[in-house]
Formats: sequence, structure tokens, C-alpha cells
Amino acid sequence: MKILITLILSAAALFATPNVGDKEIPFVLPGLYQNHMKVSSQELHGKVILLNLWASWCSGCQEEMPLFVNLQNRYSKDKFQIILVNIDSERQNGIDFLRSVDPQQLLSALYDRDKSLPKAYRCPGMPSSFLIDQKGNIAGVYIGSFDKEGLQTLEKQITKLLGK
Amino acid sequence: MYRVYFLLLSLLIFSGCMNPLVRVMPYEKEYLAQDKMKLSPLPERAEQEGHIFLIREASAGGESTFQGGCGCR
Repeated sequence: MKILITLILSAAALFATPNVGDKEIPFVLPGLYQNHMKVSSQELHGKVILLNLWASWCSGCQEEMPLFVNLQNRYSKDKFQIILVNIDSERQNGIDFLRSVDPQQLLSALYDRDKSLPKAYRCPGMPSSFLIDQKGNIAGVYIGSFDKEGLQTLEKQITKLLGK
Repeated sequence: MYRVYFLLLSLLIFSGCMNPLVRVMPYEKEYLAQDKMKLSPLPERAEQEGHIFLIREASAGGESTFQGGCGCR
């Protein structure tokens, strides 16, 4: 019985969302605007990254996007970068929405049609965001959309990571 | 030895109850979040109905009337 419980618990841990301190899940994804441009998680090391998994059909994602544009505006992309990973079935839906919110293409957008990243991260909600430090470790897990207060907490954490 | 087989068999049976298999994951709700999937054509009425359903059934919500059914918040 003990073995069974242990096995069930370890199986449950296997299907849980990654926690703070865990390694990021590596990826290579094409750009949302340009399909030929591939971005890998490896080349983002050295920066603090906010990895945001979103879709144009998710109203929470739509709400937080203008906040992300403001946030990226306040930091240099060499130090802190917001990486948006779109999971729409139709790439154009993601592009249309993002162009309306971020016409200057300040936010870096990738496209994951197969939803491989939300599957790998086992996202329990949409949107999901992961703050990743310079070494590729997860420093924060945020399920659901950010409001202004949530963003302030996030900014404190970013400042802390950049100050290291 | 039979114990091991029993354990493996139980695990195999219970694996069908795993969360990713029995639940539509939030990132898979693209089509459920579409307007045409709403049960009521009037957003205000749908919100009221959702509220009543939530109280009556003590359910967790997450239907299309709230946050597009994507499980956000």
C-alpha cells in the first residue's frame, strides 16, 4: 500500500506545474511575425525573462497585454525581456490582436501552434507567466492575468533579480 | 510478485483518471471560448445565470460567461 501511495504521489508530482527554483523548460520556437526567425531559450540566458503563454481568444490575456507594453518600455531589452508565446490555432489571430495593442512591436512574440510549451509547463490556467532568471531558473510562477497590483509585485521581483 | 502486478495494474487503471486526460486543459479551450459556444446570447443574462449556477451547484465556475472560459483567474 505504501508503495502504491508513493507511486501515486510521485506521478502527481510529475504532472504538476514547475515551481520556483526549477529549471526552465528549453524551447526553440518560430517568431509570431516572421516564421523563419527561430528563437531558442538558450540564447535568452543572461537576461531576466518573463515568459508569457497567451492566446487571442483569452480575455485575461487581452487585459494584461497593455500592461506588458508599459513594463517592457521601462526596461532595456538587454537586461529584461518579455517573451510572448502565442498558442492560437490561426497565427493571424494572434498577429492581429498584438498589432492593435503593440503597434511598435516592442514585445518579442513567438508562435507555438502545437501548444508544446503550455503542455510542457502543464499550465493550470490561461494566461500563465513564468519569470526566469539569468541562469535559466524559474524565479516566479504566475497563473492568471496580471492586474496593476500584481504587476507591482512582479516589478519588485524583476528589480531584485537585476540587482543580483 | 502478485503484489507488484496488482500495483502496476492499479496504476494502469488509475492513470485514466489523470488530470490531463479527464479535464479540458485551459490552453485547449480555444473553441469553447468562442461567442457561439455561449449558452445564452445575452451577456448580462448569461452572467446572471452563471452566478445562480455557481451558488446552486457550488461549482468552480470557468464556463464561457466568465473570462472566456479559459480558466483564467
